[in-house]
Amino acid sequence: MEQITSSLAPPPPRPSAKAAVAGPGSDSVGSVTKRLSNELMTLMMSSSPGISAFPKSDANLFEWAGTIEGPAGTYYAGMTFKISISFPPNYPYVAPVIKFDSPCFHPNVDIVSGSICLDILQDKWSAVYSVQTILISLQSLLGEPNNASPLNPDASNIWDSPEAFKVQLARYYRPLNDESA
Amino acid sequence: MASDALRNQVATKWQESFNRLNRGSPGISGLMLFSEQAWTVASAFLYPRDLGEPPKDFNNQKIRTAFDVLMQCRMLPMLLESFVEDMRKRQHLITRDVEEYMAQYEATNSPSTIASLILRLADWYATWAPGGELGHTISAAFVTAFQTHIFSVLPPAFAGGFKRLIASTLELSTEAQDSRLWTAFEVLGLADRYEALIASVCYEHIEEHVLATCKGKWDEPMLPTLREWMADNVLPWMLLPYARGAKTTDEAKTMLQGVGSRFDFHVCKTLCDLRTQEVFDIVIDYPDSTPALQDLKECLQRVDQRAQLVQAIRKANKRRLLHPGADTKDILTQYVSIIRCLRIIDPPGVLLFKVADPIRRYLRERPDTIRSIVASLVADSESGDSLVDENEPIQPLSVAQIDDYMDPNWEPEPIDAGPEFRTNKPSDVISTLVSIYDSKDLFIKELQVLLAQRLLAVTDGDYEKERRNIEILKIRFGEAPLQVCEVMLRDMTDSRRIDQHVKTQQPSILHPTIISRHFWPQLQSSKIVMPGQLRSIQESYSKEYTLFKPDKKLRWLSHLGTVNLDIQLQDRTITADVPPLEAAFIELFSEKDSWSVEELISRVGAVERGVAVKALLTWVDLGVLKEEEGHTFRLLETADSSGGLRPSGSRTIIDEQPTVVTVQQQQAEQMRVYWKFIEGMLTNLGSLPLDRIQTMLKFAQGYDRTVDQLAGFMEAARREGLVTVREGLWRLNRG
Repeated sequence: MEQITSSLAPPPPRPSAKAAVAGPGSDSVGSVTKRLSNELMTLMMSSSPGISAFPKSDANLFEWAGTIEGPAGTYYAGMTFKISISFPPNYPYVAPVIKFDSPCFHPNVDIVSGSICLDILQDKWSAVYSVQTILISLQSLLGEPNNASPLNPDASNIWDSPEAFKVQLARYYRPLNDESA
Repeated sequence: MASDALRNQVATKWQESFNRLNRGSPGISGLMLFSEQAWTVASAFLYPRDLGEPPKDFNNQKIRTAFDVLMQCRMLPMLLESFVEDMRKRQHLITRDVEEYMAQYEATNSPSTIASLILRLADWYATWAPGGELGHTISAAFVTAFQTHIFSVLPPAFAGGFKRLIASTLELSTEAQDSRLWTAFEVLGLADRYEALIASVCYEHIEEHVLATCKGKWDEPMLPTLREWMADNVLPWMLLPYARGAKTTDEAKTMLQGVGSRFDFHVCKTLCDLRTQEVFDIVIDYPDSTPALQDLKECLQRVDQRAQLVQAIRKANKRRLLHPGADTKDILTQYVSIIRCLRIIDPPGVLLFKVADPIRRYLRERPDTIRSIVASLVADSESGDSLVDENEPIQPLSVAQIDDYMDPNWEPEPIDAGPEFRTNKPSDVISTLVSIYDSKDLFIKELQVLLAQRLLAVTDGDYEKERRNIEILKIRFGEAPLQVCEVMLRDMTDSRRIDQHVKTQQPSILHPTIISRHFWPQLQSSKIVMPGQLRSIQESYSKEYTLFKPDKKLRWLSHLGTVNLDIQLQDRTITADVPPLEAAFIELFSEKDSWSVEELISRVGAVERGVAVKALLTWVDLGVLKEEEGHTFRLLETADSSGGLRPSGSRTIIDEQPTVVTVQQQQAEQMRVYWKFIEGMLTNLGSLPLDRIQTMLKFAQGYDRTVDQLAGFMEAARREGLVTVREGLWRLNRG
């Protein structure tokens, strides 16, 4: 009887988004999650073409998956890359760690680990940047690499010879298909 | 041991006695004659005579002796046999009578013929009956043989005639009853043979009476009247077939007990059937039909027809209530009546639960249910809109309770309660209505929308009624959910206060209603920019306001409200109360006399062309503008005599469009936001099952849909080709 009654009762109120998203549980973490969910909201509502990101699971707002489409007019046009973003607990005072999940043949991207060499992700980081600005920066980085500090010297060396670069790029590129997730 | 002498003596005595018995006839023929004589006497006595023959004079003593002799000779069975055989031979006499009477009956169709036939048969019976003093065996054999014979000759038409005869007796008063007839029934075994028939006559009589007296009569309790009628009219009649031979009243009572309660049951059943048929209209007539409901309640306690009642109500509801043609308000009214009615019939609420389910489900599908409920919550009692009884105390919404096992008055659920039955205490109607939906948040939202509409419609600054409503609603819904409404109400009074303050600083003809954006439902947005002097009025007001409340900023909803204009033209002055858009347009005409629609639209900002034309036509109606070729409008500085000048003067044109965005529109807007999230997660996380999407959607603020609603939404998206689904996994449809 107890069971029947309880199952008949209206479903218990859904835990509020804030409470459930809260991570390890301190005030600072609370404010970080608040910032992150605001950023998510902004990102979702803005329609920047070719960039997108979303938390990987509902339990952890600190790990996101992202998608970047190569900008038109670059070697990367028509290609789509997966990235992962992990936010530190003291975000936004410290930059998030971002790496490519899909192999990306690019002067500033390590082809094996996916690490990225981008100034705003290291010393030039500022708390006013957001996921959206990072994604836009990454997207433009694809077309305009910083050949001065290459992580992938091979790519850097042949950047100026389109034919050779495209061959290499195509060799490494793995298109996203519906195998994903 | 006996000596020869003794033996001889006995032998002589025996011989002597034998001779005497044998009457000196040779052998034993004398003895035979003796018994034969007895036989003749007995069979002559028993011989079935014709009715016309005079009864033979018999010496009782002699007959008695004759029967004794026969019995001693063990010839009684043979005698019986021959008696029955005689009856068989003579039965053509009865058959002849029966045929004669039946032919007559068929010609006249009169039950009295049947009565005569029965009396005639009773005469036959009396004439042929051997008389009780001859012992049980003989009379029993006779009765069996006689009845068998009668029943075999009575034609099938007799049953019908008999029924009519019984029916005719029902109409007679007690004194007029022919008791001979009833005795004849009994004697002939008709009472036993046609018992069911007699009962059915009585049942039909009852049904007829109940239908005649009770149909459509709901405003007084009929059951006591019916019982009285039973006692006065049917009971005396019942004494005849069912309490024959009762010597005292008590004895009669005992004999009638069984059959009496059967008939009482039938009264209840008939009434119950009738009321069940009528139940929908009874509910409509509530509360005038309360006595009928009381009757039904009492009947249901006697007759187990709760299931039929539920069926009847559900069927009637489906046919007459739950269809697109019925107004939501009517459905709600009927539902409330059903609640009230079934509470009378069945206080625990099992019937209600079973009946209510389809109604509630149907109401849930109707888009305007919540609005109707909310409207009735705050409706004026004078307007008759209110579903709530004025006398009903206002009480907090009751919540479903689990059984309290410590309650000494606890009662188990009724036996016909379904597994999903929830014992709910007789709660008030509003609680029941609100519980149609799982959450009362929907009501709160709708309340806010409604309140916003009502507050904005108030022009005389009298918010007392709304305040009272909110106070009442606070009792029902609790303080917290209505806080927003409080703020809204406060905004209204504050607006007036601020307005007065601003006026003291700088006189202005503008009286804005200043609302707190976060606490009000979305108002219809529009990007009208007021031109000319209208704009400068707004701006100077804004300036004063910012001085008064430095931390706040006014954002004008220019398209709402009304503008009172005096338009001075060369030959006339026109006064009009018009919506802002109309005012904006006419203001522009002070710049130049002729505008095209496109020009006007570009000056005031985003306005749909249709709306703009409508606004302009308002002025055409008032004789201020004139439409010309190519969608241009020209100001008529002097009245256009040919255009049929309308009488100038005050005319109010109020836009009937609702200013407050309805909850539905808000929800559609929200769903658009959620779609962005779904798109985002499917882009980045690949394909997801529905429940993952549901849990991930909690990142979207304020997401409160159920997984079923989400499923419906995803299905809609799939139909539009935005997503595909395979094996329960949803993915974006990439070109």
